[in-house]
Amino acid sequence: MIKFKRNFWFKLNRSLHRDVGYFSIGLTIVFAISGLALNHIRDFNPNYQVTRIEKPVQIDVELKDELIIKNLLKNFDLKRAVKASYWESKHVFKLFFDEGHTLTFHSGQQKALFEMIEARPILPHFNRLHLNEAKHGWIVFSDIYAICLLYLAISALFMVRGKHRALGRRRGWLIALGALVPTLYIFI
Amino acid sequence: MKLPLLFITLFITSANLVAKPLHFGETVKEEQVTPISKLLETPENHVGKKVTVSGTIVGVCQKRGCWVDLASDKRFQKLRLKVRDGDMVFPLHTKGRKAIATGTMNAIPLSLPQTKHYLASLAKRDGEKFDPESVTEPMSIYQVVPVGVKILD
Repeated sequence: MIKFKRNFWFKLNRSLHRDVGYFSIGLTIVFAISGLALNHIRDFNPNYQVTRIEKPVQIDVELKDELIIKNLLKNFDLKRAVKASYWESKHVFKLFFDEGHTLTFHSGQQKALFEMIEARPILPHFNRLHLNEAKHGWIVFSDIYAICLLYLAISALFMVRGKHRALGRRRGWLIALGALVPTLYIFI
Repeated sequence: MKLPLLFITLFITSANLVAKPLHFGETVKEEQVTPISKLLETPENHVGKKVTVSGTIVGVCQKRGCWVDLASDKRFQKLRLKVRDGDMVFPLHTKGRKAIATGTMNAIPLSLPQTKHYLASLAKRDGEKFDPESVTEPMSIYQVVPVGVKILD
């Protein structure tokens, strides 16, 4: 009777671990990919692809803004309409286009930089979820996901019996190592 | 089953991202706009107070979307709207669009070395020479922490 009970809980735990694991696959992929992207945000912009074209230009800053704009557009062979312009300083003049493209003229260095931005297809959405920009509705779902992860971690302790059991001598050190690394980071 | 549903959700949210105009946080008090130049004439008088400003977006935080710079009505002047990461995420593609924001003005006091470093970076951007010894007083940077932002077409 005792043996039947032990087997029942063991099998139930394994089945639940499997199904909760399946349920968590989608979000784990989202969080893992966006986690990698956000960890390396200094080296790589995960939300936008920014293409830069720099050219030397010879434009007299004493000209009227309209003429400077005309010259800049001609230099970069741009036919698009200018949405706004702005003198950032005596030497830096910026033009803005639709979709957030920018053309910056540095009169001191007589060069101009055209920056085209394009939103990446999937990653920004992953990041949006990861950083909880969607707020309230998402909090409920991500709480459920966090509870699922907790359950997966705890139930994993009881998934295997015998010599390779989680809390045994042969594999217990892996759990200790997993806990030790974050502990060290706290105290270092 | 979950993965297709997730992708459907993602594409619905992407449609929201490009919707115009964009609203973040509380409703802005459009009827109470103060020119940026007026605020920056005596910025210390407005610190800690609620203000509403408007201007063309001339800069956006590329990585996290946590700030935008609004062009002032005065030449060479701008004012930064800065939020805590994730409170509002300003899309990079809003550069060049007009925005109205309501929020609290705050000051970031710089030490003398920080002031020199800040002014040196501005001079470098403009391709100008800069003598750090010419700076003898520390300065403050003023920005608005918005509670509501409306980005127009």
